[in-house]
Amino acid sequence: MIEVKNLIKTFEGRGQVVRAVDDVSTQVAKGEVVVIIGPSGSGKSTFLRCLNGLEEFNDGQVIIDGIDLTESKTNLNAVRREVGMVFQHFNLFPHKTVLENVTLAQRVVRQRKPAEANERAMKLLTKVGIAEKANEYPSRLSGGQQQRVAIARALAMDPKVMLFDEPTSALDPEMVGEVLDVMKQLAREGMTMAVVTHEMGFAREVADRVMFMDAGRLLEDAPPAQFFTAPREPRAQAFLKQVL
Amino acid sequence: MPLKRHAIQWPWRGLLVVILLGLAASLWYATQRIHYEWRWERVPQYFAYRAEVSQDAPVAGRVSAVTPDGGVSRIAIAPESGGPLVTVTVEQARVKAGDAVAANAAVGVNFEWRVGPLTQGLWVTIWISFVSGFVGLAIGLITGLCRISKNPTLRGLAIMYIELIRGTPLLVQIFIFYFFIGTVLNLDRIVAGVGALALFVGAYTAEIIRAGIQSIAKGQTEAARSLGMSATQTMIYIVLPQAFKRVLPPLAGQFISLIKDSSLVSVIAITDLTKSGREIITSSFATFEIWFTVALLYLLVTAVLSQLLFWLERRFARSD
Repeated sequence: MIEVKNLIKTFEGRGQVVRAVDDVSTQVAKGEVVVIIGPSGSGKSTFLRCLNGLEEFNDGQVIIDGIDLTESKTNLNAVRREVGMVFQHFNLFPHKTVLENVTLAQRVVRQRKPAEANERAMKLLTKVGIAEKANEYPSRLSGGQQQRVAIARALAMDPKVMLFDEPTSALDPEMVGEVLDVMKQLAREGMTMAVVTHEMGFAREVADRVMFMDAGRLLEDAPPAQFFTAPREPRAQAFLKQVL
Repeated sequence: MPLKRHAIQWPWRGLLVVILLGLAASLWYATQRIHYEWRWERVPQYFAYRAEVSQDAPVAGRVSAVTPDGGVSRIAIAPESGGPLVTVTVEQARVKAGDAVAANAAVGVNFEWRVGPLTQGLWVTIWISFVSGFVGLAIGLITGLCRISKNPTLRGLAIMYIELIRGTPLLVQIFIFYFFIGTVLNLDRIVAGVGALALFVGAYTAEIIRAGIQSIAKGQTEAARSLGMSATQTMIYIVLPQAFKRVLPPLAGQFISLIKDSSLVSVIAITDLTKSGREIITSSFATFEIWFTVALLYLLVTAVLSQLLFWLERRFARSD
């Protein structure tokens, strides 16, 4: 479903060139849940943002469901509607109600009729347990509720892949669970997911594979059972000693 | 002791009243010193007045009777050529019974309400401001978008336009627009005046809108793009509505300024409120009264606009 070949992304600043993503290659099969972990600044968010072209990468290839993002003929907007993304800071549209947040892209991108979009939105809002807030503005919702709306908004486009960029990092501890529960349910339903997170419990429980990144490099790629009990790389061992 | 003490308010309010009364008294004293005679009663006629319209006799003949009937008079005329009496109704008769009248000679007058020059000037000021504000907003929106465009040509043109307009006085711009561009393109003075004002307000609006767009968090654009929306759709549905809400207060200030700046078009002989005032003074000699009245009228228009935009702002605040 996702194929990444020799991906390189550099940032330039103050005369220095930082290789945020340094020659990463990997594949994610349909229905697979991949969790990407690593220390801050290791390039895991940048890597994730390259997967839907939000970040323009310098070299390499990203192929989503057979479509190469780097190909000049590729319509990025058409690819992005198949790739849902959930952000650390939710990024709900504050001037629209919860329902409008979930229906807007359905109407203007998928060209669905309002009734159809509303029905799909209400179904998803019910699924993430927030249907009763449909007519509220996002500012009236707690962080956990906002993030669940953001997940519903991404799902409303019927994506083939979901990307999660530290979805629980900006939440109060007591709200982390409700968001993780929604993500676990999605994983059970067979959604292809790439998740950047610091929630080791989630990685252990849900992930099919854990990818460990440091300084832009993909250092280890292993099933969670193996990664958490016997990591090969010394850098991964040191990281796990800190966080577990 | 509670941390927040309730200060006593009324002595300060009293002081405010005293200061205002003092200002009014000094104004009165100042006019006394220069022996200015206030003639406020001359002002209302410049808003609206009752004009005399003369009523002519339909036929030549002799007035046989003038009968008052309520507020009007009925004049009965016996035609020279014979035949039945012809009756004319007027508000004020100018003939008596027995007078001979020629055909189409005035026999009396009617009174009609007419709009005075102050009202006409006020109306011109309002519609000139409205039209140039509307056009200026459109220019500002387009220029603001060009200003943040990735295309160097568009960006360069936008910057040049903004700097050119902001760096020169409006009065000079109006003269250039009227005498140079207006002559070349053979423009009407009203078109030249509205055009100059629209270009002026457009440059300032462009910078306000640019700042508004850039103040919207990048995450909003990223969220919209990640849902597959195009750059244009993102701008229309996500960025501009939020930016517009945020820039409403500075925009309001800009449009209030525009109403006041529109007084400068009087230099190219557009009879707006200011020019009407000047013209009235030449005939009435009530200099102070007219200028005070003109100032008050500007204040009235800007206050109404101010309230309107404040109301709009509160409406937009629903989602906060």
